Amino acid sequence: MLQGALAGLAAGGLYAVLAVCLTLMSRLVRVVNFSQAATGMFGGFVAVWLVTETGVPIWLGSVLGVLLAGVLSGVIGWIAATWLSEADTTTRSAMTVGPLLLLISLSFILFGNKPQPFASIISGPAFTVGGVVISQVTLVTVSLAIVVAVAVRILLTRTAIGTRLRALSERPTTAELLGIPSKPLSIAVWVVTGVISAIAIVVVAPTQSNDAISLAMLIVPAAAAALLGGFKRLDLAVVGGLVLGVLSGLVAQIDEVSLIRNFLPFLFIVVLLLWTQRKEVWDAAR
Amino acid sequence: MPHADSGPARSRALRLAWPLGVAVAGVVAGYLLSVGLSGYFVFLAVSAVTAAIAILGLGIVTGSAGMIALCQLTFAAVGAWVVSLFNVLEVPGGFVVWLIAGGLAAGVVGILVGLPALRLRGVNLAVVTLGFAAAFDVTLLQIQFPGSKDGIPVLRPEGFSTDRGYFFFSIIVLAVCGLVVFWLQRGRWGSSWKAVAFSERGTASVGQSVQQAKLTAFAVSAALGGISGGLLAGQVQLPFASSFTPLQSLALYVLAVMSGAYLIDMAIFGGILWVLVPELLKRWGVPQDWGFVIFGALGVQALTSGTNLGQGIRNLWWKRADGRTAAARETAKADAAAHPAAVEPPAEASVPPVPAAPAASGEPALSVTGLTVQFGALKALDDVSLEVPAGSVMGLIGPNGAGKSTFVDAISGFLPHASGTVRLGGTALGRMSPTKRARLGLRRTFQQDRVPPALTVDAYVRFVARRRVTADEVAEVLDFFGCPPARTRLAGVDVGTRRLVEVAANVLAKPRVLLLDEPAAGLSHEEHLELGARLREVPARYGMAIVLIEHDLDLVRTVCSTLTVLDFGRVLASGPQDEVLADPAVIKAYMGETEML
Repeated sequence: MLQGALAGLAAGGLYAVLAVCLTLMSRLVRVVNFSQAATGMFGGFVAVWLVTETGVPIWLGSVLGVLLAGVLSGVIGWIAATWLSEADTTTRSAMTVGPLLLLISLSFILFGNKPQPFASIISGPAFTVGGVVISQVTLVTVSLAIVVAVAVRILLTRTAIGTRLRALSERPTTAELLGIPSKPLSIAVWVVTGVISAIAIVVVAPTQSNDAISLAMLIVPAAAAALLGGFKRLDLAVVGGLVLGVLSGLVAQIDEVSLIRNFLPFLFIVVLLLWTQRKEVWDAAR
Repeated sequence: MPHADSGPARSRALRLAWPLGVAVAGVVAGYLLSVGLSGYFVFLAVSAVTAAIAILGLGIVTGSAGMIALCQLTFAAVGAWVVSLFNVLEVPGGFVVWLIAGGLAAGVVGILVGLPALRLRGVNLAVVTLGFAAAFDVTLLQIQFPGSKDGIPVLRPEGFSTDRGYFFFSIIVLAVCGLVVFWLQRGRWGSSWKAVAFSERGTASVGQSVQQAKLTAFAVSAALGGISGGLLAGQVQLPFASSFTPLQSLALYVLAVMSGAYLIDMAIFGGILWVLVPELLKRWGVPQDWGFVIFGALGVQALTSGTNLGQGIRNLWWKRADGRTAAARETAKADAAAHPAAVEPPAEASVPPVPAAPAASGEPALSVTGLTVQFGALKALDDVSLEVPAGSVMGLIGPNGAGKSTFVDAISGFLPHASGTVRLGGTALGRMSPTKRARLGLRRTFQQDRVPPALTVDAYVRFVARRRVTADEVAEVLDFFGCPPARTRLAGVDVGTRRLVEVAANVLAKPRVLLLDEPAAGLSHEEHLELGARLREVPARYGMAIVLIEHDLDLVRTVCSTLTVLDFGRVLASGPQDEVLADPAVIKAYMGETEML
């Protein structure tokens, strides 16, 4: 039982990292980025290709793949910042469905639709607690999620650039009038979250089902986790990701409820939305 | 105008007949194709038809109702699953009954998934539907379609069992679905979908339940998805989960957005593209996955530019048509100018005195006691009490921030935390929803533009009226307020005029009380005066009381028999116009201390 829960923790860490990125995007550049996991998936696949086909070292391939993911994310951000700078969150988010579709299909063309032979960057047990093994992957993803959340929080509240970013997200027009370079800043947010997501995916992919669809659809549990914090709070996004991972691990242990496991993120989403939006009634303030 | 009598009747008959004619022509064309096409193309054509029906459904939920739904093929899978199950169980009635059952089942699933959507909007719904699609996809792989293990093929309908026959059958289904969608789009449901996409507040304030509008859109869309899936089950006879993946749902969504699928012809065009693009790629020896790459890129283009193919074509067409009618109007105007005798003299040269406030004997149309609204520490309305006599026009004036719009919001039910009692002609409104209040006869207009641009003036006026009105009634009220003719599309009308149409439509609804929140904002000075003159006549002509929020004191003086002055959320004075305007406190608050009337 405990083993199952802890086995889910690695996935939970991944959900948490992606959820933190989603929350960051939602807060700073007003978008729910449906291609958040897909750019990471694509970067990861390119890394695998580089390692297996051109023989570059694993670390170099991974770095290049992660950077590519950042660039891809930046391109989507550039599109959003150029043509949808005044659009509402819904329209901006809907736009990211296009890249999601495009990246999955492109990876089918380039790499086929089979799971990829990801070489593990990190593997093996980290330590054992009460007879239960905690893998290094679990340790790395969970700490990555926490470190990113804490770092982002410090960045936003303690630094000048954080203040600018918050100004940008809360009052975009005013920020621009004050001379804050809104476009480069928002594209930078896209690039950074793209890089972070890709790192998490490259680390966890060797231990997960890692075909293009499974990896790109990590956006669903990630969004579920981000919803716990209402796409606003980073700490709750981390908690949401970990809880969802542990729950999936637990449910996977019991054969009778394995069908529920598929619906777990969906149910998580529905329940959270109904709870958080119970007081929200009208679409406009007046 | 006696000569116009036969015209509308004929055009009405024509309006009813032409969609039927198009459907019949489509079925005939389908029959000819089913005989003429080669076998391979017949199979492809059925795929195009099934995709077209699914896209037709997406057009309703994403195009008309403005919600993002990313699980259309999941609904299709539900339809296909039910058809397969009924086939295995040999349910009497045959394929047609199974197909309808599949559509209904998908509709029910749509309602269940859509239930959280009652409160949700926009991007949250996208998350919900994507989550549902992903979850159902994995589950479908595990449970499989009924009969697929034993290889029991789905029995096609009798008489249509060959591929050619089945294509003809699918064309008939498409024609029926197209007709149903056409009539729904033209009817109340269609108007409510387009209204809810534009503004939920605006929708509720005319007595249309927002929840119902969203749920019907979701259910109809899902049901069409289910029918599409059921047809596909009959086409391939052994459906597999690989036909209903989330990836394909995403592609279908993108395709619906870029083709403009709320237009029926574009949904059919989208269905053809769905089959044509991969087929062409196959012929050119290009991997078929490039099809979705192309869809993805075009989808980004469509979503960033906010345009789509169908609307683009129509806009071009309308531009030309509008140019022609404008030219015709110019000629008519020139003719009228040439014969000045034909022009009616202005209705009132001099302004008659304001009708006196009706005797206080009758029950007031609206009575408010102790209305208080608190936002945090700020009391936006503080113990406001007033009465609006039946059949009168009451002016509600006060400086900016006095609480006038908050008053309208509270009375019309948009501020459920307001305390105090509001009685509409003796009925206490309590905590009723805005929708319910509107249905009881309390209507309001908005300071912001809340008129859905996707509708025509006629459709909007009928939607707001919420009762059976004849074309003559519509034309009369539009004419009375100087609005554009009924056939005009609201998208082509400026905001000031849209708000005039909003007033006219709400007047036609014949409520007990109509709250007008600065209806003249955005109008020219002449139009402003014209509106004032019309509003004076409304109580007698249409039988309702009006509460008018207005900044122009001259207008207030000529229109309103009674006045209420708000300042800092409190009633400063209330009563007959001349008494209130003479009140020193009012003068001080409204005109400033130094300036005297």
